[in-house]
Amino acid sequence: MKEDKKNSPLFFSAGLYSAEALKLAAAVFSARGGVRLTAGKGGTEAVLSGGINPGEFANEALNQQCRIDLSARNSRLSGIIVTKALLSASGSSKKGGK
Amino acid sequence: MARTATKKSAKGTAAALPHFNFRRLSGGAVLLTNDSGMHASLSGAQFRQFRDGRVAAGSALYKDLAAKGFVRDMMDIEGYAAACAKKNSFLGAGPGLHILVLTLRCNHKCVYCQSSAVGQASRGTDMSPALARKCVDFALKSTNPGITIEFQGGEPLLNWEALKASVLHARRRARELGREVRLALVSNFSLMTEEKARFLLANEVSICTSLDGPADLHDKNRVFAGGGSHAATVKWLKYFSAAYKKQVPEFRTFKPSALLTVSRYSLGREKQIVDEYVRLGLEDVFLRPLAPIGYAKQLWDKVGYEPADFLSFYRAGLDYILKLNARGVTIRERNAVMMLEKILNGTDPGYLDMRCPCGAVIGQLAYNHNGDIYACDEGRMVGWQGDDLFKAGNVERDSYSKVMLSQASRACAAASSLDTQPQCSRCAYKPFCGVCPVYNYETQGSLSGEMPSNGRCGLFMGLFDTLFSLLAKPASAKILKGWVSK
Repeated sequence: MKEDKKNSPLFFSAGLYSAEALKLAAAVFSARGGVRLTAGKGGTEAVLSGGINPGEFANEALNQQCRIDLSARNSRLSGIIVTKALLSASGSSKKGGK
Repeated sequence: MARTATKKSAKGTAAALPHFNFRRLSGGAVLLTNDSGMHASLSGAQFRQFRDGRVAAGSALYKDLAAKGFVRDMMDIEGYAAACAKKNSFLGAGPGLHILVLTLRCNHKCVYCQSSAVGQASRGTDMSPALARKCVDFALKSTNPGITIEFQGGEPLLNWEALKASVLHARRRARELGREVRLALVSNFSLMTEEKARFLLANEVSICTSLDGPADLHDKNRVFAGGGSHAATVKWLKYFSAAYKKQVPEFRTFKPSALLTVSRYSLGREKQIVDEYVRLGLEDVFLRPLAPIGYAKQLWDKVGYEPADFLSFYRAGLDYILKLNARGVTIRERNAVMMLEKILNGTDPGYLDMRCPCGAVIGQLAYNHNGDIYACDEGRMVGWQGDDLFKAGNVERDSYSKVMLSQASRACAAASSLDTQPQCSRCAYKPFCGVCPVYNYETQGSLSGEMPSNGRCGLFMGLFDTLFSLLAKPASAKILKGWVSK
């Protein structure tokens, strides 16, 4: 897939964006075009192709980073709720169990 | 010194306040909510007092906030926990809704079809009676004590043998197991006959159809080669309504209901749609937005619309419904009813799309004609397009627990947890709302989605804004509260 010449590479500072967030964002856009991520000094460069809107990609990268940061704080609560729902539905949870 | 809403040691700091979310509403009011589902509407000045810890202890506002869990010093932890448990009781229930897609065939060609139907003459898309019985048996393995088996399509009456077999089997097995089983049919009525209707009534199958408004609008949305779709819909709605009014001692007869799908053609016609529902004696109208899923996704440019367009339609429709109520007409709007159940009663109305986690697998299962099980009916539609991300298993090959703990189940539950959604976790409507992984995947490419630009999120935010602004007005609040009073 050709890289869009009109789009300059986007630079994501390592101080704000983890590699995981950028990879997740790239995966979200995988059906719409290509995202080439290159780790460099102080951050990661993203080159978009296939007509991906740079603003939309940047929004998604921020969304993924926020999700990661939030999960670090709330994953225990979220995990309890999700596990309760799944185990109850599967019949695995014991009555009165914690 | 008067006691205030915050601890002296931490007065005026965010740390002194219990956890809450807030939203500024139109008109300057500020809505406070917390995870127990309690809410309070403050003026701008009151909100500043609350924020700064300056609400006087003896004041009515202080008592109200304290009773609702917004004052840390006065927290009734057990009461708060009980409210959370009541609101989230579905977490311990298991799947209650089991959708059997008896055939993909349909004799209609609706402009927005979301059920991935194929032509009436297509082959290989009917569920066999034997497989239908296996689906019923699978549904009866659910941990949920009271399940609903809903027969859908396509048009389910095109596969009458499978429908009849599964109804009889479900009734027999329910008796043997001592289980409560509700049966429901969703049909366009075009193939309904007296004989079929009598069978359905005798077996206590509740009836739901599609009604998009007056004849011209309905028939424009719901194209039927065999003549007017609206005429058959109205004829059989009247038949089942008459049976409901008559009631007989041998079996329970349920009031028939109808589902509305709002296409672009419906916009601006809210009054005529509501009037049609009233004319036919229906007491609920569900102003239901179209979602860009399945066939509708391909035709979105023709039949779809922006969330703002739907919200204008919704507000005008709800306003008209409230006016009718004020004149003594009995008609309710279903979105409002389900949201108000959560907001005013703190209960779960069973609206699977608005739960956290969403109802995919843990609240519902969709059984395709070939026995494949999907996380929900919308997930099945994605599967029809060749993407089985939401497939949770197969009735003949997989165990119940394997389906419940499938990758699709776990992924949907995790992705729809609002506590890990950046915007949702801070949203004032979090206690009442839910996200849809299928919608997110279809429109934004990921299960979790990105809420600031998510059309469904914008739409539900608008619905909640509308309801809370109406609840602030005494006349409309009285009517809305009446809709969900026990």
